[in-house]
Amino acid sequence: MEPIIKIRDLRKTYFSKERKGIFRAKKMAIEALKGINLDIYPGEIFGLLGPNGAGKTTLIKCLTTLLLPTGGTAWVNGYQLEKDEEMIRASVGCMLMGERGLYWKLTGRENLDFFGSLYHIPPHLKRRRIDALIEILGLEDIVDRTVETYSSGQKMKLVFAKALINDAPILFLDEPTITLDVPSAHELRAIVKDLNRRGKTILYTTHQMTEAEELCHRVAIIDKGEIIALGTVEELKATINREGVIKIEGVIPSEAYEAVRLLSGVKEAALTKEKDLAKLIVVGSEPRTLLPSLIRTLFENGATIEYISPAEVTLEDVFVAKTGRTLDIDTRIK
Amino acid sequence: MRGTLTQFGWKTSLQVILSVILARLRLRSRYKGWLLLGLIIPIVMSAIIIFLGRALGGPRAAENFFLNTGTSNYVAYIILGSNVFMIVSRALWDFGFWLRREQETGTLESLYLAPTSMMLILTGVAIYNALHSIVNFFITFALGCFLFRVNPLQGNIPIALLFLSLGLVPLYGVSLLYGAMVFKLKEAHALIRMAQWVASFLMGICYPISVFPPFLRAVALLFPPTWMSNGVRASLLGVGFFFGTWYRDLAVLSAFCVIMPLVGYSVFLATERRIKRNEGVGMF
Repeated sequence: MEPIIKIRDLRKTYFSKERKGIFRAKKMAIEALKGINLDIYPGEIFGLLGPNGAGKTTLIKCLTTLLLPTGGTAWVNGYQLEKDEEMIRASVGCMLMGERGLYWKLTGRENLDFFGSLYHIPPHLKRRRIDALIEILGLEDIVDRTVETYSSGQKMKLVFAKALINDAPILFLDEPTITLDVPSAHELRAIVKDLNRRGKTILYTTHQMTEAEELCHRVAIIDKGEIIALGTVEELKATINREGVIKIEGVIPSEAYEAVRLLSGVKEAALTKEKDLAKLIVVGSEPRTLLPSLIRTLFENGATIEYISPAEVTLEDVFVAKTGRTLDIDTRIK
Repeated sequence: MRGTLTQFGWKTSLQVILSVILARLRLRSRYKGWLLLGLIIPIVMSAIIIFLGRALGGPRAAENFFLNTGTSNYVAYIILGSNVFMIVSRALWDFGFWLRREQETGTLESLYLAPTSMMLILTGVAIYNALHSIVNFFITFALGCFLFRVNPLQGNIPIALLFLSLGLVPLYGVSLLYGAMVFKLKEAHALIRMAQWVASFLMGICYPISVFPPFLRAVALLFPPTWMSNGVRASLLGVGFFFGTWYRDLAVLSAFCVIMPLVGYSVFLATERRIKRNEGVGMF
C-alpha cells in the first residue's frame, strides 16, 4: 500500500541567539529534526510519542507547511512539500496551537464560518458542515456565544471542530487533550476513533503513553529530533519484555538514583520528582532477581521506599529503556 | 479537491475576501470605544492646531496662511490634513500591524494553515481598512466642518474623491512594506510609531511641503500620501497641484499605485519565506 504521508530525511534547524548581556549575542543552531524517515499509511492512527521539545510539533509544522524544512522532503496525500503547499493544506485538518487559534471576540459559529471560507468551502456545504460539527461535538449551547466566554475545554472542542471543517482525509492532532478534563478527553478520543473508522488517517502527538496505547495502531517514539523506536504498541513493548520493569515511589535522593543505575542487571533507570515524592522507573533483568539488590542499594543511599512493585511494561518504559529519561522531562533547549 | 470539501475557484476565492472583510467588521464592532476614538482623534488633532494657529496668527491668521498655501481656509486645510493622516495612521496600525497582532493572539498560524493565498487575506484586510477609513473620513470631515463652521461642500469633490481612493492603493503597498519589517523584527510599536510620525511630518498635516528645504521636499514627494493629501486639498481648497493640473498629479499617484503594492508584496513574500525557513510565522 502506498503511504499517505511519506517523510524522507526531513531535517529542521532553528537559528537562534544566545544573549550575552544587553548588547552581545551569539548565534546558535538548534537541530529540532535530525533526518526523520517515516511512512504513514491510509486509515492509520499513528502516534508520535515523545517528551516536550522532542520535535513532535516541529514535524507537524513542517508537514503542514507552516515551517520550511532545512533539508529532506515529504509527501502528504501525494503532494510534495514546497511544491504543492495549498494542496497539502487542503488535504489536512490540523489542531495545533491549543485554544489560541481562535478569534475570542467572535462567536464559535462565526469562527467556524470564517475558517470554512478560508478553506474554500462553498457556502451551502459550509453551512451543512458547521451544523454537523456542532451536533457531533455537542456545541449547541455555546456556539453562538463569543469564544472569550468559553472554558478551556470548550475552546479546545471548538479548535477541534475547526480542524474538521473541511472534512480532510488526514488529521494532525497535536496534544489535543492537553487542557481537557478526564470526561472531555475521553469523549474526544471516542470521536477520534470514530473519525478513524470513517477512514481518516490521523497523526496524533502526545506525551501521555496511555493515550497512545489506547488509540494508536502504530507509534513512533521521538526524542531530540530523532525517531528512536517505531512499531505497534505490542511490538515496542516486546522490545523490553525480556527484561522487566520495577516502579518505586518514595523519597529518593540523587545518590540513590545514581547507585541504582550502576547496579548490575539494570539497563536504564529514570527518576522524576514532584515536590517531596519521587518516582523511579527501573528497566532491567528479571525483576525477582533484581529486587533484593535494588532495595538494598536504595536503603544504603538514604532512600525511603513507600511503594515498590514489578510492573506491566508500558510505552513510557520503552522510552525509559531507550533514553534513561521519562516522558515528563522537558527536553527543549532553552 | 478530491476527498475534502475544499473547492478552489474564483467564487470561493471571492468568498475568502468577503469573509475576511466581514470578520474584521465583526471584530471591530465589538470594540465600540475604538470606533468612537477613530472619529474623535482627527477632530481633537485639528482643534489643537487650529487654536494654536489662531493664538499665533491672531486676526490676520487667514491672510498669512493664504500667502503660504494659496487658501485662506486654514480650518478646512487642517481638518483635511488630520483626516488624511488618520487614513495613513489606520493603514499602518490596522494593516501593517495586523500581521503582528494576529501573531500575538495566536491566530496567524490558523490563517497560514488554511489552503488560501495570503494575498487573498491581505486583500480582504486592505478592503475592509479602506472602507472603514473612507467612511470615517467623511464623518469626521463633516463633523469637523460643522464644529468649526466651515462649508464642507466646496471645490471639486469628485476629483478629491479620486485622489483619496487612488491614494489608498500605494498606501497599502507602503503599509505592507512596514508589515514585513514588523513581521521580521517584531518591534511593532516602535516601528509603526516611527513610521506614523515620519508620515505626518512628510505629508504635511498642517503645512504645505513648499515650506521644506529642497532636499526634504524631494523626499516628501517620494512618499505617496503626500500626493494624496495635496490632491485632496488642491481639489477642494484650490491650494495648487504639484504639477499644475490634477491629471498630472493623478498620473504620478497612479504610478505609485503600480509600484508600491508590487514592492510591498515582493518584500512581504521574501520576508514570509525567510521566517518560514527559520522560526515560523507563529513565533512571537
